[in-house]
Amino acid sequence: MRTRFLLLLWFVIVSLPVMAQDEKLFQSYTIPSDLKENANAIIRLEDTHIDVKAYNKMVYTNKRIVTILNSSGDSKHGAYMGYDKNTNIKKLEVKIYNSRGDEIKKIKKGDFEDVSAVDGGTLYSDSRVKYLNYTPTDYPYTVLFETEVEYTSTAFLPGWRPIEGFYTSSQNVNYKIINNSGIEIKIKTSNFDEYQIEKYSDFHYSAKNLLAIKPESYSPPFNSFAPDLKASLTEFDMEGVKGVNNNWADFGKWMNDKLIRDTQILPQQVRDEIRSLTANAKTNLEKAKIVYEYMQNKTRYISVQVGIGGWKPMLASDVDRLGYGDCKGLTNYTKAMLDEIGVENFYTVIYGGRDVRHIDDSFSSVQGNHVILCVPNESDYLWLECTSQTSPFGYNANFTDDRDALIITPEGGKIVHTKVYSTEENLLTSNAVIVLDEQGNIKADIITKSYGTQYGQHEGIQNQTEKDQKLYFKKYWSYINALDISSVTYNNDKDKIEFTETFNVAAERYAAKTGDRLLLQPNLFNRLENAPNRYSNRKLPFEIDRGFTDIDSYEINIPSSLEVEALMEPISIKNKFGEYEASLTKTDGNKLIYKRKFIIHKGNYPKEEYENYRAFNLEVVKHDKSKIVLKSKS
Amino acid sequence: MKKLVFITFLCIAQIAISQNYKFGKVSEEELLEKTNPDYPEANATVLYKKQQISFEYIQGKGFIQKNEIQERIKIYNKEGFDYATRLVRLYDGSSSYGESLNGLKAVTYNLDGGKIIEDKLKKDGIFEEETNKNWKTSKFTMPNIKEGCVIEFEYTIESQLSGIDDIEFQELIPIRKLEIKLKTPEYYVYKTFLNPRASYIPVLNNSKENRTITFSNKERTTTNRVSSTQNYTSTRDYIDNVVEANLSNIPPLKTESYVDNLSNYQAKLIVELERIQYPGESIEYLSTSWEKVTKTIYDYPEFGDQLNKKGYYNSDVDAILTGITDPQQKAAIIFNYVKSKVKWNEYHGYTTDAGVSKAYKEGVGNVADINLMLTSMLRYAGLNANPVLVSTKSNGIPLIPTRTGFNYVICALETSDSAILLDATQKFSTADILPTKALNWLGRLIRQDGSSDWIELIPKISSRESVSLNIKLNSDLSANGKVRNQFTNYQAFRVRDRFENYNTDEMIESLEKGKGELEISNFEIENMNDVSQPVTQSYDYVFNNAMEDIGGKLYLTPMLFLAPDENPFKENVRNYPIDYVYPIADKYMINIMLPDGYAIETMPESVKYQFNISDGEFTYLARQNGNMLQFTISLDLNKTLVLPSDYEQYKKFYQLMIEKQTEKVVLKKI
Repeated sequence: MRTRFLLLLWFVIVSLPVMAQDEKLFQSYTIPSDLKENANAIIRLEDTHIDVKAYNKMVYTNKRIVTILNSSGDSKHGAYMGYDKNTNIKKLEVKIYNSRGDEIKKIKKGDFEDVSAVDGGTLYSDSRVKYLNYTPTDYPYTVLFETEVEYTSTAFLPGWRPIEGFYTSSQNVNYKIINNSGIEIKIKTSNFDEYQIEKYSDFHYSAKNLLAIKPESYSPPFNSFAPDLKASLTEFDMEGVKGVNNNWADFGKWMNDKLIRDTQILPQQVRDEIRSLTANAKTNLEKAKIVYEYMQNKTRYISVQVGIGGWKPMLASDVDRLGYGDCKGLTNYTKAMLDEIGVENFYTVIYGGRDVRHIDDSFSSVQGNHVILCVPNESDYLWLECTSQTSPFGYNANFTDDRDALIITPEGGKIVHTKVYSTEENLLTSNAVIVLDEQGNIKADIITKSYGTQYGQHEGIQNQTEKDQKLYFKKYWSYINALDISSVTYNNDKDKIEFTETFNVAAERYAAKTGDRLLLQPNLFNRLENAPNRYSNRKLPFEIDRGFTDIDSYEINIPSSLEVEALMEPISIKNKFGEYEASLTKTDGNKLIYKRKFIIHKGNYPKEEYENYRAFNLEVVKHDKSKIVLKSKS
Repeated sequence: MKKLVFITFLCIAQIAISQNYKFGKVSEEELLEKTNPDYPEANATVLYKKQQISFEYIQGKGFIQKNEIQERIKIYNKEGFDYATRLVRLYDGSSSYGESLNGLKAVTYNLDGGKIIEDKLKKDGIFEEETNKNWKTSKFTMPNIKEGCVIEFEYTIESQLSGIDDIEFQELIPIRKLEIKLKTPEYYVYKTFLNPRASYIPVLNNSKENRTITFSNKERTTTNRVSSTQNYTSTRDYIDNVVEANLSNIPPLKTESYVDNLSNYQAKLIVELERIQYPGESIEYLSTSWEKVTKTIYDYPEFGDQLNKKGYYNSDVDAILTGITDPQQKAAIIFNYVKSKVKWNEYHGYTTDAGVSKAYKEGVGNVADINLMLTSMLRYAGLNANPVLVSTKSNGIPLIPTRTGFNYVICALETSDSAILLDATQKFSTADILPTKALNWLGRLIRQDGSSDWIELIPKISSRESVSLNIKLNSDLSANGKVRNQFTNYQAFRVRDRFENYNTDEMIESLEKGKGELEISNFEIENMNDVSQPVTQSYDYVFNNAMEDIGGKLYLTPMLFLAPDENPFKENVRNYPIDYVYPIADKYMINIMLPDGYAIETMPESVKYQFNISDGEFTYLARQNGNMLQFTISLDLNKTLVLPSDYEQYKKFYQLMIEKQTEKVVLKKI
């Protein structure tokens, strides 16, 4: 009895100041001013507790108080919760406070909107989301969101981002895992040293007054500089399937044995067909190419996410019968066919996207958002994007290039780096013959060839309608005011991975008349028009994620009645960021030859270098705009 | 000769007969077709579509609407694969009015070595999604889609709703053969209209069909203490009104940028319930004319009644109007009061959602909650305020009297000489400045006595951007100076909306973006939140490489970094009008001080360009006064719509303007 009384007393004493503390947080004017700088919302308090009870049971409790300063911050209240059949939402409650801290609204679980959680690219998914749909009546306002959720799947142990994203500051955020399961939990923290984050134990952290970060162009991905914590159970459950995860090797082995291996049986007819199609192919690479193109012609990409966490591929026989699948299904189908003819290949989990994001080689857990296929080729690897029906064999630029990926071998998982497209490889050449008349009108024939990453940037246009193609190129050369595109033809050489565009264009008054002179810009068809933004006080480092090379050569024929009054000086710049060369020479009679080379290297630089990079770009913009003056001979 | 004609005729007849549109009768020719011969760019073609909408009487439920669809689609290439997936949205609001999709049957046909291979759609390709609390979506995607395949599907949507969706005659791909049949019982009188703005006009046939309903009744009778149940059947004859269309070779709907709403130009049949007329019951008129539509809406409890409620606000409004006598001031106070008191929940509609009193109490409401409340308060203050029904741009232009033709409501305050339009849903709206989505042609004003009239919504007054640009040129090719901008009306609205949550640094960054070696300082912006005043913005700048040195001469564009760099109009022809929404007046006053030691070699000429006489006017005035240059450059666009027939001329006008705005001044050394 005495103990109970003491406990109760302790509870009263402890909880009273906590309540008072909360009340202060509900008021908007108590926010320290430095937390408001560059912020649309401030996380006043967040307590995340994860109670791991067993390999297949955890309870997630979260309490957050967020003050929202303006309409751009509305979504930062974070009051939403995804769920599926392995989730039991026990508590979901919101209270809203005005700037004085008075409670103005209370929203219970039943009043949350409940919708299917499909994104734009997915046809169907069995996961759903409950979210708060609230119209603020005034700014600032404060949202208290409390949630408690029980999970039977523990594969996705929630991690922690003390700074949630851009334009959001954190006043007091805490993260704690209580582990009663007897299973080891692994933790990895990144970028904690650069920020003031208190560590109480391996499983308990706290941070105060983390300032908001504003996005700046050319900055590396957010999670590469912001603090981030990943957590993972070494024994876990994914929708009823027990998994192990001490390192990538055994995690990969688990994926292979439990998710992939039994999905690969192909109908006899396909097996026969593949064998006969590849019977005369000499090398493994040739065989893989035949299979890849067979898959491309037979299937299309349709995303349906049901079953084990969206992680188990559709049966290869279903993909064959239906003729569609998502990245997992199509990759696995291709894999099954390659296995059939004895070509070694690995199912590969990766982060797909324009921005480079790595699977963490030093921390094994459920990571990645995409699946591709890896085919070993001597000492290197070839990467097959199976969701594309048009990609050349082995082309993976701009989406899965230059990053760490997890390949699943029968022996287990392994981290390897995907193909890096080099500065020299990412080439664009443009060659043109231009005829200028006395009025400043031009006619031109242009041939451009693109390779590497630039192939991917150019190749898509051929599938548009003719009208949209012409519109696209008018925008591409938007600085030529009255551009008329009479014809454009393409040649897509998928074996060489080379895309050729041949244009026939004309433009009235391209060279501007100024008094009795014509002003001509000799760089007609490949100009750098804009330099990166200026930042008076840049905070973030910067990154050029892919290098490239542009080489241009234009022959300009001027009418015999005109002569050059002033020719531009040749220019050559070389620095750590790249190279730029441009020159204009007069050959026989009325011919001018313009040559240009522009190279940018891949690289990571401290913020101090940004202004130099901008200056280099400005220099290029300026020289690309250089004009020459033509005047009448008479 | 005669014989030849006969043979040709036979061949044509043969081809016509060989197309069998019965489900499952896909031909080899259809599978072999490589492109659409009439529309070679089409990625897919609807080979055949049959749609029949009819009503079946079900005892105990009443008339059930059945929408039967059968479609055969040819897919030529990978770009056309999207047509192999179909999403059907079904209303799921209440159990008694829910819609259901039944009888789905679908097959993919491929040609394999001269043999037609069929793949049936099975359960694993069909998905039912509970989209949200009012809607569910039936989705299906066809098996074994390959270039050249043909797909076929049929299904029926059953609904207890009497409203009929627009019947579409045109899609983004061509339709080779289309059969439409709409059968409606005489008790529901529908009005049908073709979209007059579509360029494709289908031919419709009207007829009547006899129908019979059979009722079965059970009656229990007791004769001589013996009870017995007898089954009676009775019948009633009625007439179905039938609208039919048998169409072939329908061109695809063309897409274009700067179009207000593509479906405004789609060939379609708009069907609206006009009146309900059961035998022996009084007729319920719904939408025979605009007056009737307006009256019907006015009589909704979620509309007219909401205007009459006063009890929830009267003491509050009395308090804020204490001592105010000027009607304009009263209007302004009430308008600002509603804006600050009730926030828009992003739902459209001309009927209230929460109801005005609840919206007032909770501070949140839809468009009708807010603007009907505003109208009511203005009336309470003795002002002549009325609601105006509006169709937003995405809802299309209200062409025929329908209730669904409207989806929005604003308020008109009539003064002695004019009407001021008000919309209190937006933070930055003010008198005659409404969200641009609502500025759609005409609105229907409803007076207190229920009478109604059209009112023009397109703004008459120009929205201005006035810029004063002072330039001091320096011998190092740089320029520095001061810029002052003023934005009025809609241009001010646009600036406020865009920069609402920007701080000074972000505004500077957005102004410097893409402008080369421009550095802005001392940035100030005024009246961001005071909507009664124009927004003004001023800053100092330094612009390196403002001039180009070519052979010792300096070349300069007077508008500097404010010069436009491209003509936004790039298409050669247009099918639909360009919509500017509001008249525009832009004016630049530029003063340039020449660098020491330089004089003018070439000065641009003053010009004036006109488009369609006074629809558009561009003037460029250049003047020199010692070492000072002065430019006045202005653009007035007085019409908000540029018609396709005027497009070529308009593009030229724009092009000449841009050439002039980028023309160079040439300076020489002295």
